[in-house]
Amino acid sequence: MARFYFDSGDRDLFFEDEIGVECAGLDEVRRAGFEGLIDLTRESLKSIDGQQLFIEVRDENGDKILRLSLSLQVKLMK
Amino acid sequence: MSPTSSSDVLIRKLQTISEIREADVDVLKGIPIQEKDFSANHDLVREGDRPVYSFVVLDGLVGSTKHTGDGKRQITSFFVAGDIPDLHGLHLSVMDCNISSLTPARIGFIRHDAIRTICNQHPRIATAFWRSTLIDAAIYREWVTNVGRREAYTRMAHILCELIFRLRSVGRIQDHVADLPITQAALGDALGLSTVHVNRMLQELRHKGLIATTGSKVHARDWAGLVHAGDFDTTYLHQRNPGDQH
Repeated sequence: MARFYFDSGDRDLFFEDEIGVECAGLDEVRRAGFEGLIDLTRESLKSIDGQQLFIEVRDENGDKILRLSLSLQVKLMK
Repeated sequence: MSPTSSSDVLIRKLQTISEIREADVDVLKGIPIQEKDFSANHDLVREGDRPVYSFVVLDGLVGSTKHTGDGKRQITSFFVAGDIPDLHGLHLSVMDCNISSLTPARIGFIRHDAIRTICNQHPRIATAFWRSTLIDAAIYREWVTNVGRREAYTRMAHILCELIFRLRSVGRIQDHVADLPITQAALGDALGLSTVHVNRMLQELRHKGLIATTGSKVHARDWAGLVHAGDFDTTYLHQRNPGDQH
């Protein structure tokens, strides 16, 4: 098990993870990041065109190893 | 600070929720309780079991848990010192959930026939046990509301308030500092949140000055603020003297 840091945010807000989460390997980091992004989206997604949410993972050395993001497009069709 | 015997732990809890008189205390002191220590994450009783005893939590944190068909765990309630998580087993013969230690725990086992005999002879004690299971049900109702409808930040604050309040009411903590050596993953299973989001919510509460964390200790630095953030109202815990315990 190693500790990984899951920073998250959107365009305006950056949340730096100071505590971290223990994961057994890269697959688990990816799964944890994805589940975290789902929760982040449920809580933080607003009806704003172009809003972007992301989770960025650092390892214990501070190296960035993974970024998951999604963005919302809102277009009026009429 | 800790009560000296296992029956004292039980008596103290029952006194917080019902009127137990001196004569009842003497009866409760005579209940044979078999103590046993468990490490964290041990199933004390499993779904499908037909136990012939109930148990009282003497130390540590215990959770009732259910698993979905695809193996996801939901912790459905926490139990602290003095609680009897499987008292319903006295009347419902087959366990419908697992009850597990979430931290190292000391458990006191009481035979069902011993509880039945006492309840038959001492109606005030029977009433106290009944109240205890009714309050457990009230805690479940609050839990469903918390997990189903509150935002993650409020949800996290709420569960911390509940734990601290319950630990205080049975005299396990004197201030607002609780030792909660449970993992973020277990908190996630209790709150229906991912580990990453649990981690984030704890840090948000910390940044707002509501809690401080050192190791496994959680300190509610601003109790009134945490209560507000957690949408926490103690009514559902049905304490006899709620005013004493803020």
